[in-house]
Amino acid sequence: MPRQVPGGDEALSSAGEQRVWDLPTRIFHWLLAALILFSWWSVKNHHTDWHIWSGIAILTALIFRLLWGFFGSSTARFANFVRGPRAVRDDLRGDWTGIGHTPLGALSVLAMLIAVAIQVGLGLVSQDEDGIYAGPLSHLISSDASDTTRDIHELWFNVILLLIVLHLAAIAYYRLRGRHLTKPMITGKAALDPQAEAMRPGKWWAALICLAAAFAVSRWVVAGAPYV
Amino acid sequence: MRAVLLSLPFVLLAACGGPETSQANNAQANMSNAASPPATATASVTADAFSPVTGDEAKSVMHERHEGMEAIGKANKAIKRGLDATPADLATVRASAAKIADLSQKAAGWFHAGTGPDAGKTGAKPEIWQNTSDVAAKLAAFQKAAAAFNSAAAGNDVDATKTSFGQLGQACKACHDKYRAEMKH
Repeated sequence: MPRQVPGGDEALSSAGEQRVWDLPTRIFHWLLAALILFSWWSVKNHHTDWHIWSGIAILTALIFRLLWGFFGSSTARFANFVRGPRAVRDDLRGDWTGIGHTPLGALSVLAMLIAVAIQVGLGLVSQDEDGIYAGPLSHLISSDASDTTRDIHELWFNVILLLIVLHLAAIAYYRLRGRHLTKPMITGKAALDPQAEAMRPGKWWAALICLAAAFAVSRWVVAGAPYV
Repeated sequence: MRAVLLSLPFVLLAACGGPETSQANNAQANMSNAASPPATATASVTADAFSPVTGDEAKSVMHERHEGMEAIGKANKAIKRGLDATPADLATVRASAAKIADLSQKAAGWFHAGTGPDAGKTGAKPEIWQNTSDVAAKLAAFQKAAAAFNSAAAGNDVDATKTSFGQLGQACKACHDKYRAEMKH
């Protein structure tokens, strides 16, 4: 989901590789991709219990990413990559320089995070058609409402599919223009504009605290969100 | 300090083993449940259950099946909510358990030949009528599980009732996974 497009197309071949994505961001990215795939597969193959646990794992990952967006490395922080319409316009004109998410790419990151968060929220309060399985928060709404949210949950997956298609199409588009986006998301490094400000890495202990907080909130949700 | 911080997520991870723990509890409840009195209703599904029907009779069987399955689903949802509530809503659980036990007996008449997708809109797969002995066995298992659950719900042991409800769900699932097509209604 996150994409990286450095500025200065010509400077690439000569420049050495710089860090662009930290390890937590990369793990989040690939874990999210794997969990979305697993969620789809498990529910299509009658493993509704695994599907629910996969959704809870996505919830944990999302909470971590949200926190990492405030306390993580510079390219992971929302404040650094979420920009206004002017930056998006400059980006479309090819005038944008910097490292990390492009202003346009940032919109796609946000759209994906919000769409997946909505999907998880819908799943948490839903119940299956037969009344055998239910999300841990289904008791917060009525039985009929849990059936309705399940129907919406099923439809909302199409929104996520659309965003995935756009994401892959954008990667293919940049690839045709000679830019590899997949490899930096694996190695964390890319050939970048040497003039651009370098990534400031996050603290390892900040990552652990964010992770611990994500697990704590997820446990509370699994327990049915007591005390609300 | 570093070691404590490092181990924090793993401790939380281990603590997240909630489902396994509850499964172990279920297994225990399961064993104690085996000692409880056997199901009262007899479970039997004969070959007559699959005798062919046509025309309006087929339509009426399909309608009854659809309504019946929906009623069972609704009762299941009420039971799940009743059992998950604190304290458990046993009155709702018992009423719904009796309803499912009753419908499970009727379910033996819901799968006559000629009520598949050729006859109209249904989630019933044609495979049902290629494997009637398997379907009959699964229907009988469903009846048995529904009767056992009805007995368990009559008592006051919520854990045993939950275990029995889990087994009923598995009986539903055994047939649905194999013989029900995805259907929008």
